[in-house]
Amino acid sequence: MTHKSAAKRGEARRSALFVAPMACIAVLLVALPLIYVLGTSLVQSGQSFSLGAAFTLDNYRSLLRADYLKVFLNSLQLALLTTVISLLVGYPFGYCMARAGRRYKALLMLLVIIPFWTSALVRIYGWKILLQANGPINGVLRALGLIDKNIKFLGSYGSVLLAMVYCLISFMILPCHSAVDKMDFTMVEAARDLGARPWRAFLTVTLPLTMPGILAGCVLVFVPSVGLFYLSDIMGGGLMLVGNLIRDQLLKVRDWNTGSAMSMVLIVLTAGIYLIYRRSGGDDLGVF
Amino acid sequence: MKKGLLVCMALCLMFLLAGCSSDNNAATEATAAPVETEAPEETEAPAEETEAAEDAADGDAVLNIFTWEGYIDYETVIKPFEEETGIKVNYATFASNEEMYEKLSAVNGGDYDIILASDYILNTTREAGLMQKFDPEIVTNYGNLNEDFTHQFFDPDNEYVIPYVSGIPLIVYDPSVVDIEIKGFNDLWDSSLADSLGLIDDARVTIGMVLLSMGQSMNTTDEAVLAEAAEKLEELRPNIHVLEYENLHNYLVSGDVSVAYTFTPFVALALDANPDLQVVWPQEGLGFGIDGCFIPVNAPHAKNANLFLEYLLRPEVAAVCAEWQYYCSPNEAAQDVLADWYKENPVFSGIYERIDDAEYVLNLSSEDEQKFQDIWTKFKLGF
Repeated sequence: MTHKSAAKRGEARRSALFVAPMACIAVLLVALPLIYVLGTSLVQSGQSFSLGAAFTLDNYRSLLRADYLKVFLNSLQLALLTTVISLLVGYPFGYCMARAGRRYKALLMLLVIIPFWTSALVRIYGWKILLQANGPINGVLRALGLIDKNIKFLGSYGSVLLAMVYCLISFMILPCHSAVDKMDFTMVEAARDLGARPWRAFLTVTLPLTMPGILAGCVLVFVPSVGLFYLSDIMGGGLMLVGNLIRDQLLKVRDWNTGSAMSMVLIVLTAGIYLIYRRSGGDDLGVF
Repeated sequence: MKKGLLVCMALCLMFLLAGCSSDNNAATEATAAPVETEAPEETEAPAEETEAAEDAADGDAVLNIFTWEGYIDYETVIKPFEEETGIKVNYATFASNEEMYEKLSAVNGGDYDIILASDYILNTTREAGLMQKFDPEIVTNYGNLNEDFTHQFFDPDNEYVIPYVSGIPLIVYDPSVVDIEIKGFNDLWDSSLADSLGLIDDARVTIGMVLLSMGQSMNTTDEAVLAEAAEKLEELRPNIHVLEYENLHNYLVSGDVSVAYTFTPFVALALDANPDLQVVWPQEGLGFGIDGCFIPVNAPHAKNANLFLEYLLRPEVAAVCAEWQYYCSPNEAAQDVLADWYKENPVFSGIYERIDDAEYVLNLSSEDEQKFQDIWTKFKLGF
């Protein structure tokens, strides 16, 4: 009995040893800066966060404005649309990838992964060249006689959405693929044998069984897209998103206290989404 | 398979974040800024600074420059200086004027020997007592500067700042697709320009442009005037196709917009790509800016800094800087040395004729700055 618990203690000590460096990094690089942001958001404008500073909730109160609310809704709307489109495109892709033969599977996986070996910025500028008024896409459409006048894709909401989906879709494809891959296909066969039409078999068997993958993909796409604002700026969308608001508050208005309060709201919002996901039975996203 | 996936996804995430940070320097800097600059004692000094401090201890043949990335060319400007004087130049960078100011205050005007930044922050820095006067015994060629660019608000007695380059945002348009002749800001409201303007995504610059079109100052804080400007800006919305801070010339060249109001270098780049474009010096007035160099009050190598200022003021060096920066040169003596292509470019040469109509975008208090931001936020929400 005693030697068993000693072994257990040794094990615990060993695992603590492994965890310690990670914990240090997490505290130093994540927790401390966040505490500083939180602290800055709680002291008066113009003050920096330090011991003895006067605490106030004014920075949060100043966020209760109709236009700021609209900025948050703007970001949420863009994130939601990005997630829905990513799901509609990514799920079938992940499904086909999981059901494809070994050779094609590896190829499809490469197609998903390889773009990530280049900077997202470079790839988005690539899209800008494709989409510009005298660019190749307009050239092809004109050559086919489909249009007379060049279409100004850049700067439109659609071009921003395209860039968002393009950058984030892998986070939808991979969990969906993983879920379909793990699924036991004899269930679908059983459903078909019992007379279910393909659509019905999909809706009643495949979809519920792969739901964890879908949910994980949605969270993985939705959460980063709430905060992404540089894509809208690069595509010339000129949208006012939460990220723009925080940047302007910090760099233009130079009110870091209000800017920090905005950041905290964004953090709480995204953490909330993750919590809801976990509460509703989601697993650890299969990533970490 | 699962493990492979894990690795893949982690990699994807890494690259996405890498893209994010490499792109929007200003933005990431901004989020990091409160930690980094307000409490410097809590954070580690950036690599360049530590290196600079070490070199300072070694000896005096060092010069620590602090400015934006790529603002002073190494090959054509810094390297010849190093060869001539034997002084080793360290080049540290900031993303914004505000970041420079916070860092300089944090080290009490020390660490750096030469700082190159924009007019309004130069004024703040001087008023905060963070500048030292340059030495006229060493900087004997201050007189090379055109007098239109000296005695500025950031240095009324010509004691602290050496103007480096200057710029005026201009209108540039493609006459082959624009039916009207554009002479000034008010022409931008013309209904024939529907969905064809590219404007700068910046509250002060673009609302300032609207204010100039109304015959008002770009720096007004009068609420009634600003409210009127907000309304006039709203009327411009149907004509706006793109809002972007930098690189608007790309949209003009690609045909996505037919008129752009943008900063000097981008106007010049647009002309390079398409010489048929028309440049407009708006008749209602002009925005204006100067970037200048100064020596911080506790610069560790003030003498080297003075030598560098003297070097920058030399006509041939000033000419190289202006040509390389694609900005206007405030250096009168450099006009004789500037390349022909530069002198023939209307973007660079026109400044001397119109400098009396030009107005600085001044730094306002946070509250007043907020007024401009609020108008801008509300306006952008309509897109």
